[in-house]
Amino acid sequence: MKGREKWGTRVSAALGAAITFGAAMAGVWVSHAAAQTSANPAPFTNAQAQAGQAAYARNCASCHDNGEAPPLAGAGFLGVWGNRTTRDLFARVKDTMPLDNPGSLSEDTAVSIVAYLLKNNDATAGMAAFTPTTAVAINAVVPGEAPQQSAQTGTGRRARAPAANGSNPDAAASAGGSDPDADLRRGVAAFRTGITVAGTVAKYTPITEEMMIHPPASDWLMHYGNYAGWSHSPLKHINAQNVHNLQLRWVWSMDEGERQQITPLVHDGVMFVSNNITNKVQALDAKTGDLIWENTLGPKLTGQQNATRTMALYGDKLFYPATDANLYALDARTGKIDWKIKFSSYGNDKVGGLMVADGKLIAGLGRCDERALADRCFIAAYDVNDGHQIWKFSTVAYTGEPGGDSWGTLPNDQRTGADAWIPGTYDPKLKLTYWGTGQAKSGARGIGDQLFSNATIALDVETGLLKWYQQPAPDEGLDLDEVFEKVLVDQGSQKVLLSAGKKGILWKLDRTTGKFLDYVPAVFQNVFTSIDRTTGRGTYRPDIVASKPDDSHPSCPSPAGGKNWPASSYDPQNDLIILPLDQICVTSGGMAGNYEAPASDGYIARMSAYRAKTFKPVWTFQQRPPFLTSAMTTAGGVGFVGDWDRTFRAFDLKTGKTLWTTRLGTTAQGFPTTYSVDGDQYIAVPTGYNGRSPEVRPDVLLAYERNRPFSGHAVYVFALPKAR
Amino acid sequence: MFAGCIMALKFTSGPLVLAVFCAAFGAPAFAADNYQTNIGPTPLDGSNRASVLGRGSVLATLDGKKFTLHGTFAGLATPATEAHLCMGNVMGGTGPIIYDVTVSQAQSGEVSGTVMLTPEQIAALKIGKIYVLLDSQKAPKGNLWGWFQPAHKTVGPEVPQEGNWYLPNILNDDNHMVKKKAQG
Repeated sequence: MKGREKWGTRVSAALGAAITFGAAMAGVWVSHAAAQTSANPAPFTNAQAQAGQAAYARNCASCHDNGEAPPLAGAGFLGVWGNRTTRDLFARVKDTMPLDNPGSLSEDTAVSIVAYLLKNNDATAGMAAFTPTTAVAINAVVPGEAPQQSAQTGTGRRARAPAANGSNPDAAASAGGSDPDADLRRGVAAFRTGITVAGTVAKYTPITEEMMIHPPASDWLMHYGNYAGWSHSPLKHINAQNVHNLQLRWVWSMDEGERQQITPLVHDGVMFVSNNITNKVQALDAKTGDLIWENTLGPKLTGQQNATRTMALYGDKLFYPATDANLYALDARTGKIDWKIKFSSYGNDKVGGLMVADGKLIAGLGRCDERALADRCFIAAYDVNDGHQIWKFSTVAYTGEPGGDSWGTLPNDQRTGADAWIPGTYDPKLKLTYWGTGQAKSGARGIGDQLFSNATIALDVETGLLKWYQQPAPDEGLDLDEVFEKVLVDQGSQKVLLSAGKKGILWKLDRTTGKFLDYVPAVFQNVFTSIDRTTGRGTYRPDIVASKPDDSHPSCPSPAGGKNWPASSYDPQNDLIILPLDQICVTSGGMAGNYEAPASDGYIARMSAYRAKTFKPVWTFQQRPPFLTSAMTTAGGVGFVGDWDRTFRAFDLKTGKTLWTTRLGTTAQGFPTTYSVDGDQYIAVPTGYNGRSPEVRPDVLLAYERNRPFSGHAVYVFALPKAR
Repeated sequence: MFAGCIMALKFTSGPLVLAVFCAAFGAPAFAADNYQTNIGPTPLDGSNRASVLGRGSVLATLDGKKFTLHGTFAGLATPATEAHLCMGNVMGGTGPIIYDVTVSQAQSGEVSGTVMLTPEQIAALKIGKIYVLLDSQKAPKGNLWGWFQPAHKTVGPEVPQEGNWYLPNILNDDNHMVKKKAQG
């Protein structure tokens, strides 16, 4: 059980009153709040708690017992939940858990989990059964005391310049009169926002649309390196013959914690990186690793939230999607804020895909899975100069809108999901931008296609109007998104789009019309029994279609995905599409029940190359630890990929043979990039150790077998030895 | 043609190879078919992963109705107790025990047995639904398992395979590559 938002600490005023335990009125229990400990029986039975233990193991333990989510026992539990009621806890469990399929737990299951949580926190079982309406102050039945609140501190850096953009007053107060260097050494430097290191990029050429269409070989201007989503560089100084000589040139440590899965963008010899936990953006000298400027935008995160996988560059601006849904335009030369907008007014952690196309900043809203959503998921374009919205396409169709009837009679406020959480690609000749969406999260199945969930979408870049959509897996209920990168390749006169979703099936579409052309399964899957070769739509296994939320229906791949956010790469020299893949199955929803796919021989990871034109398999290799970076290829005939077990690898694009490896400080995670400065080619790879399904599920499988540090967020940069 | 042809052939390089493999599957009952599986941990989560350890491999032969298997395992957290053949609802899915087989009562050892399969079970074997399940003291409902696959080449970690690697496939779309060739 893993919350999208951290378990709240707010105290309901209504529950601040004394509650008398044992007296029930219309199912609502009342007890005395002053009771710190209680030997009184709590409102649940041992049988419920026993059932809840199994349900907890199935749905909650893999996150909450493994550091992925806050532990649900001890002082921490009491601190968060002590002043709230059992009914609040039930509602949280029932409505928002498990993360991968919120709302999917049956009432009985949620009831039993709450009973188990109470029991596991030393509450005494009684004769009265717990029900969804039972409301007892948790600190009245769970003994112990909540931990004292303390001022938040964290690692920080001494501000070398005034906080021009406004600093955190609490932080300023705590820092007043102290020696910031000493605080830094003690690791208790206060968190400060604003320009925390001032500087100016000496040479910076504004990025034009022409540069975006034809990116300079020396740069990595956008998430996938080019508009077509290739994750490929024309640089070839590093090649299959000399790659074994790669050496570490510099490494830059980054703020620890949260999900670090970044793309180091590079322009004019400057690398731009972001620190997820602090929303801190930095400009580095890409040749030396020296810091040029730093803007700590904040807020500092305190719970597992979304990864910020990429920023975007255009003109003289660097665009940053903060984890509080603020979208910033920074001056790329200085890091100062040019403008910012709140691109989602609901919640505070919806970071989706981000790109620039046709001179517009285009952002997708992610994490649109709350009930009664006020701002259904969308993809929207903004003016790069001032942030005003140019167009907006809602990925969820409401009643009366095109596609609205595909949700049946489901009320609009329950039409959730269709998150646009991965950046799109762009064809400047067709003037179309291509995005993917995640599955519908209404919890309803069999009501229709629930447009435009789990689809590839083509939008007119000037108007945002839908040109076409193609939905390979409508009515998806297994958290198997089809949201990932849309790779654009020209095959003779035919313009195609290649994309693989979590089912690990590589699809080919005509990107002018959306017509389905071809597919190839890249990993073992058993959720589809057939795929219509005319429409490209899959048919689910009957037992999956008929399943109820709490049913066990073992399926492959798991929500970790046969393919997930680690992007594929297209190598134009060899016409290869190269995919990092996972081979994990799962028994049911949540994070529990992970097992190795049939015939995977214990290899969780697979990297496969297919000829893009024919889908002919060219090469594959497998390994135990999963890949947690994108594949990145170069014109030097060399590809790169990093994994969970800290190995960063160069491989031969023609054969898949490993040419060079090195071990990093922790898991290689994010999007490797390459660039050149003064004629030298560099390879950059980020490291990070938190994530969701693609990182957590293998974590379970690899326990008692391999270890990695839970520290070490960084960017590593490699290059060939300098000529003497 | 047996439906089992599909899974064995996903990435064979052409119709000739398809014909050879399907001939093997569709051959008279006296021809023996060879199967293999790597047995790995049953479903893992935070609550059981300390108990569900180990790995092994099992080879098997189907000769008419007679299904003979033999394999080894090692690294269990507690001694093995029982082993079974089970029939899942799908390759990679679970289902009832259909036969018990013999297993060493130890943390490492052998699993073996000979059973007579029914036509339904033979059909299930050929589409990857039959799996071996090994129980242990701390994992009495299953410690290691693996679904039988047609005999195929396996390689070690990080060793590339070119062109015709084995990948099971349950889609009723038949052989994707063959269809494409037929379509010209």
